[in-house]
Amino acid sequence: MAKRLEIGLKPQLNDPAGSGLYAKARAYLGLALEQVRVLRVLTFDTKLDDTELERVRSEIFTNPVTEMSSFEPLADKALPGFDWALWVGYKPGVKDNEGATAIEAMADALGHRFGEDEAVYSSRLYLIKAPKLTREGAEAISRELLANDLIQLWRVIPAEDWDPDQGIGVVIPRVELAHTPSVKSLAIGSDVELLALSAQRDLFLNPADVPVIRAYFNDPEVRAQRQKVGLGDPTDVELEYVSQARSDHCNHNTFGGRFHYQDLVSGERKVVANLFKETIKEPTEKLAAAKDWVVSVLWDNAGVAKLDDTHNYVITGETHNSPSNMEAYGGAITGIVGVYRDPMGTGKGSKLVAGLWGYCVAPRDYDGELTPALHPRRLLDGIIEGVRDGGNKSGIPTASGLLHFDPQYLGKCLVFVSAVGVIPAEINGEPTEDKTTEPGQLVIMCGGRVGADGIHGVTASSAGYSENTPAGHVQIGDPYTQKKMHDFLLEARDAGLVPYLTDNGGGGLSSSVGESARFSPGAEVDLKKVPLKYEGLDPWQIWVSESQERMTVAVEPDDEAAFMDLADKHQVEATVIGRFTGDGKLRLDHGDEVCCYVDVEFLEEGFPQWEFEALWTPPEARGLSEPVISPPKDFNGLVLDLLDSPNLCSREWINRQYDHEVQGTSLLKPFCGRGQDTPAEASVILPVLTSPVGLAMAQVIAPEYGIIDTKAMVQASIDEAYRRLVAVGGDPEQVGGVDNFCWPSIIYHPVNNPDGRYKAAQLVRACWGLKEACEALEIPLLSGKDSMYVDGTLAARYGASQRVSGPCTMMFTATAPVPDLGALQSLEPKLAGDYVYCLGVTSNELGGSALYGLWDQVGLNAPLADFAATRALGAAVHQGLKGGMVASAAVVSRGGLAITLARMVLASRLGLEVDLDCLEVGGQVSGMQRLFSESQGRMLVTVPSKRCNEFEDLLEDVPWARMGRVVRGRELTVGYEGRQVLELGETQMRRAWQRRFGRMV
Amino acid sequence: MPSDSKVKALVLTGFGLNCDVETAHTLSLAGAEAHRVHISDLTGTRQRKATETLDDYQILVFDGGFAWGDDHGAGVLLATRLGNHLGDQLRAFLDRGGLVMGICNGFQALVNLGLLPMLDGWKRQVALAANDCGNFQDRWVELLVEPTSACLFTQGMSRLDLPVRHGEGKLVCDDATLAELESRGMVAVRYGNGRGKPAKGKWPANPNGSLNDIAGICDPTGRVFGLMPHPEGYYRASQHPDWTLIRERARRKGAEPDPLGPGAGLSMFTNAVAAARGGLA
Repeated sequence: MAKRLEIGLKPQLNDPAGSGLYAKARAYLGLALEQVRVLRVLTFDTKLDDTELERVRSEIFTNPVTEMSSFEPLADKALPGFDWALWVGYKPGVKDNEGATAIEAMADALGHRFGEDEAVYSSRLYLIKAPKLTREGAEAISRELLANDLIQLWRVIPAEDWDPDQGIGVVIPRVELAHTPSVKSLAIGSDVELLALSAQRDLFLNPADVPVIRAYFNDPEVRAQRQKVGLGDPTDVELEYVSQARSDHCNHNTFGGRFHYQDLVSGERKVVANLFKETIKEPTEKLAAAKDWVVSVLWDNAGVAKLDDTHNYVITGETHNSPSNMEAYGGAITGIVGVYRDPMGTGKGSKLVAGLWGYCVAPRDYDGELTPALHPRRLLDGIIEGVRDGGNKSGIPTASGLLHFDPQYLGKCLVFVSAVGVIPAEINGEPTEDKTTEPGQLVIMCGGRVGADGIHGVTASSAGYSENTPAGHVQIGDPYTQKKMHDFLLEARDAGLVPYLTDNGGGGLSSSVGESARFSPGAEVDLKKVPLKYEGLDPWQIWVSESQERMTVAVEPDDEAAFMDLADKHQVEATVIGRFTGDGKLRLDHGDEVCCYVDVEFLEEGFPQWEFEALWTPPEARGLSEPVISPPKDFNGLVLDLLDSPNLCSREWINRQYDHEVQGTSLLKPFCGRGQDTPAEASVILPVLTSPVGLAMAQVIAPEYGIIDTKAMVQASIDEAYRRLVAVGGDPEQVGGVDNFCWPSIIYHPVNNPDGRYKAAQLVRACWGLKEACEALEIPLLSGKDSMYVDGTLAARYGASQRVSGPCTMMFTATAPVPDLGALQSLEPKLAGDYVYCLGVTSNELGGSALYGLWDQVGLNAPLADFAATRALGAAVHQGLKGGMVASAAVVSRGGLAITLARMVLASRLGLEVDLDCLEVGGQVSGMQRLFSESQGRMLVTVPSKRCNEFEDLLEDVPWARMGRVVRGRELTVGYEGRQVLELGETQMRRAWQRRFGRMV
Repeated sequence: MPSDSKVKALVLTGFGLNCDVETAHTLSLAGAEAHRVHISDLTGTRQRKATETLDDYQILVFDGGFAWGDDHGAGVLLATRLGNHLGDQLRAFLDRGGLVMGICNGFQALVNLGLLPMLDGWKRQVALAANDCGNFQDRWVELLVEPTSACLFTQGMSRLDLPVRHGEGKLVCDDATLAELESRGMVAVRYGNGRGKPAKGKWPANPNGSLNDIAGICDPTGRVFGLMPHPEGYYRASQHPDWTLIRERARRKGAEPDPLGPGAGLSMFTNAVAAARGGLA
């Protein structure tokens, strides 16, 4: 019989979880509660007897110092006289990490083997004392603060309905699929029939692909071969496989598309035969060929570049937008844990050494008329917490990140997650970046089990719901299982047991096995051997399920025993599900039934390219112009307001809850300065503790410039990322890049997406900008991903709905080794008396600037990068850093010189006295423009007086101005044309900068 | 032990622990022969026999991490697993004067195992509860070493900066236990206010709300030591958040400090190695 255990803190102890809910109810919902206590609930659906249950209660699940627990309701003891009891548990099929570890611990403690039908389910019971709280309020707390209907069940019980004997009762969210798995054969007699089938099964087949698919299955030779194994028409497994593999997510059809670009003003026309090939692949191939430090790009799960003579680093970045938008915590934790599998599955497998994050959401205080799935505030909280648990529990430093607000992200938020790994260049004398499968090797799936997770998110949410339907389309990542798998696979790699591995991400086994089988070429897999979370899944579901924490590994049959022994040591489930063959066929069975038999190359060949019209209207023709603003009289107030603005103010609370120092590798933390609270220009780690080479990582997004021109946006982002690396000591000759495009749909539709062709032109121009910047700065793109449908349809007033397309966004992540740790530097001035240099040219470039944003203006003059100048700057500053002449280095970025100077004061707790007259300027540049222009290619550095001459000798090719000095007394004073235009104290600035989010923990 | 043989240190790994590499690296720098040993190799599994015992080691380190995801209380499942399988070995290890260090998750495991505080035998008398601030925190704190403590790991040390990185580090116990910890010199380190005085519970100097600002305790012998801050998080000079300032000041005096030179946290490990060498000689 199922038993429910309730565990709570002893009443005299402070309950931080309860206090947290108390605070949120007040801040988010305006509800005044008196007291909140939280009980952990474990429901045992096991065959344990009462003695055993009592043993695990006292030995495992109750801390005698702090906790009390009981198999009887504990509510009246935990909070006598409570008014409301709110219970929240998981829906069937949602990953319950606590439930799983409970079983593991009990199995060990009791020496008991639990059956497949036994489980422990975790849930929470919130007891609230608030005599005035209404049912409506209690439901709002449950729905808006505690539970998400997509993954959770919740109940609201008022004190008068409380049953003191039964409490919340016993809820068993077990998955029961009353379904006998089967394989269906599907007739595709005509294109119309296949399209209908596509609609009916939500395959999202592109109409242009349909004839190609039919032609393959109707090919007489193919039919004859299929007949030999007992197959005729395609099966559901095969069509689902095609659908997955041809999706934009897996196949990047948009980026691989042909673009017909036209400038509507000049009439200029250009055809881009393949956007990806021309702007990303070819430039990167050329750079890779010219640079011996580029080790492996453009084919594997992540890019590989040289760190030092014996180690390479591995990097990739991706986004997890749609799932996070629906279930922020689950989406974000699945995102960060998921991206960690990419470096893990690159080459023969790398060790994870850093994670990076980037969140784009609508303003936290949004109170407009549109109703998103989750309010931005709740969304952001959930995203932050998801990455926190995913990163911290993975034992990988969450090295840095960025947060950007824009109302247009209301349609869909962006969650960027990037991962860095490190791998010995050779293991057992073989290069580690190579991997291949060969006939005869075993196909092994390891890690988590397969459920109906991530299958057709859309269909799952609209299908009829019952109490036992798995809520699988939004998942919760399990960093614990994956950490074990990570340690296991590295040990197996070092033992020479892993000739090939890859991760199971989008498309699940269909993608991982499908891709692995291209090398051998060919594979046979028995889907019945795949370990399942619960019975009743059809073979096609097993094949495409996106259940997390899984890797696919090729292992030589002779090594099977050794591999499995290591799996057991690490307590990681590993299962032989098939073997690689050499016949070029992918054959899937389900027990004794054949369910798929296709050529492994079939998905690669013959499919038509997507085509897009891209119509560009230059910014002037769109009516953009420079705003007419007279020089403000109160520069001080202006700077304080900028420091307080959502996109420039302190967001310390986020990285503070992320372990950014685990692994002992930290060299430059995400925070710097005396108060350790100012964001660093880039983070630097020492990936290999025994090697004196650092790795710097910088991230930039600049969607504001994209409103004017996405080309300028991308180029500014790359220019800034490069300068950030230079500032911290990165080698400017070894900069690698990762491009992450998040774009609204560019598929034109006269009604649903009327500006699709303009958005397509924005994409083309962004890619042109990328190509030019990477060629000029010699940055190979080590990795990159795209997420193409950043749009949402939101409920609006009057019962209408409105489509909100996200801003065109590209996150650029750049990395560079720091081969000389003496060159490592931070942004804060170190000692009074040092000179302040502004390097680079300041022009009238305030289009899309933070200053204009303050007035809700866009302007026209987006900053234009001059890469030759930036390279010269990079080379000079790098020399200065290596020579120990530069005592601090900061990039001039958002908010211009004013904000960079402010950041230097905030970080150093020293003063700066500078003058704007001496700046190197391009054309007529006013005082306001000098302070707030966002011209690229600029840095501020400080140099001790004794080293000034030496430093200036390095600046032959760099425009520079010695603009002032570092002084005692924590004040920033800026002079221009003989008067002081800015005079601000550090405390005053800090107050403004921390006002908005400074109290968040 | 013969003076030419190295002190052997065992650092636990596996099941979600994650500070094993840098902790072993730190122990090597401190002069020990450090081995990262998987928990399964000590306990065995249903299919595998144990391949390692504590008998071969003089120092045992429970390092930081999220063992078993920290589900059901930080360090709890690690403690039950080791208690179930290694109880006798641990007793023997302590009886022959072995040193035990628990850092962060390892400290949480030690108090749940009852190896700390060991006032009267193996009992859970101290807990490390959720931080009062309600969240995980990664920040550097000032640590004040109790001069009169019996702790062997902190001998000769006075104050140092170290990072804390935890969500459950608030030391909680009943009044009698607390009084005994204080009176018997078992409080080894406290959170300071940044100016060499105790934090007096003030956040964030005391990052979790620990009673009496206690950051770490030892057993009555001083040979078992647990603390929430990470000494291996400052094994190297350039881990300090002020490294670039420290270096700049030195540069002005014509010196160029080694970024890979020792950090203040390393002393706890060199103390342990010295104690192991002396104690087991």
